[in-house]
Amino acid sequence: MPREGTGWAIVSYLIGGMLLYGGIGWLVGRWTHIEALTGVGIVLGIGLSLALIIFRFTRPSR
Amino acid sequence: MSNLLVLTTASGCHFQSHPSCGYPAPTIEDFFFKPIFSIGGFQFTKPILLMLLSAAIVLAVFWMAFRKPKLVPRGIQNVGELGILAVRDQILRPQLGSKGDRYLPFLVSLFFFIWLMNLWELIPVAQFPATSKFAFPVGLTLVVWVTYMFIGMKNQGPIGYFKNMAVPPGAPWWILPLLSPIELLSNIIVRPFTLSIRLMANMLSGHLLLLVFSIASWYLFSATIGLLFAAVSFIVFLLVFVLEVLITLLQAFIFTTLTAFYISDALEPAH
Repeated sequence: MPREGTGWAIVSYLIGGMLLYGGIGWLVGRWTHIEALTGVGIVLGIGLSLALIIFRFTRPSR
Repeated sequence: MSNLLVLTTASGCHFQSHPSCGYPAPTIEDFFFKPIFSIGGFQFTKPILLMLLSAAIVLAVFWMAFRKPKLVPRGIQNVGELGILAVRDQILRPQLGSKGDRYLPFLVSLFFFIWLMNLWELIPVAQFPATSKFAFPVGLTLVVWVTYMFIGMKNQGPIGYFKNMAVPPGAPWWILPLLSPIELLSNIIVRPFTLSIRLMANMLSGHLLLLVFSIASWYLFSATIGLLFAAVSFIVFLLVFVLEVLITLLQAFIFTTLTAFYISDALEPAH
């Protein structure tokens, strides 16, 4: 059974992923003058966070 | 009592009583108080007073309860034991198991301190949740953050802690450079950030809701159709009040539960 804090941990992974890759996208977008890169970064960040959550929480705990 | 509430009730401004009498909606100004006194640049305000009171009450209650502990508890010792056992069985044990009992004093004081600071929102005369001032949740979160970082580095070694944090179990190696930064960011920055924001935002919005409906009840109270709306507003006020009783407890519970969760994460790598 997942512990009570798991839900909040997942939320913080999602926020972290969006912030990090959205931020990188925004920076690269500023540099290359392609504004859409912020959005691309945020979506990529959510995808990577989801991958991370799957690796973290779907394995049977040791 | 909030500044605005005093102002509204003092002016006797009611619905349709005067052409220029509008509904005095609560603003962020209601969260700033005139200092009670100031020493140099330091201003001693009501939230600080409430915070000190909370700390004093928690200290006094537990000191009185366990000053002369007896095997068969009587009187206030019953209350103290009830509180400690509640934190142990509902918050600590589910997260840390019985090996985490050494953190019980920390979690018990954290829980009751936060709960009391929240509870001032509902107590007449005080009527302000100290935790809705961002500095208090931030201070508490800093304590929690330092605690779990220290426990992590002590138990897994300074390098081992960050390595275990950065490497999610079962992830293929080629994706690690993409995932590790998320993990580090979420553990080191997002966790304490969300912990403090959650407490502050919940108490701030609760206080605003109470203000909106209490001021509305007063403002609409007049010999017009407004009386009907005043009654409805007062009923909603009572309902929100009951909800807030629950929320003060719930927010203290969530804060402490997450603290226990972070400590257990620091004790053992990757669950």
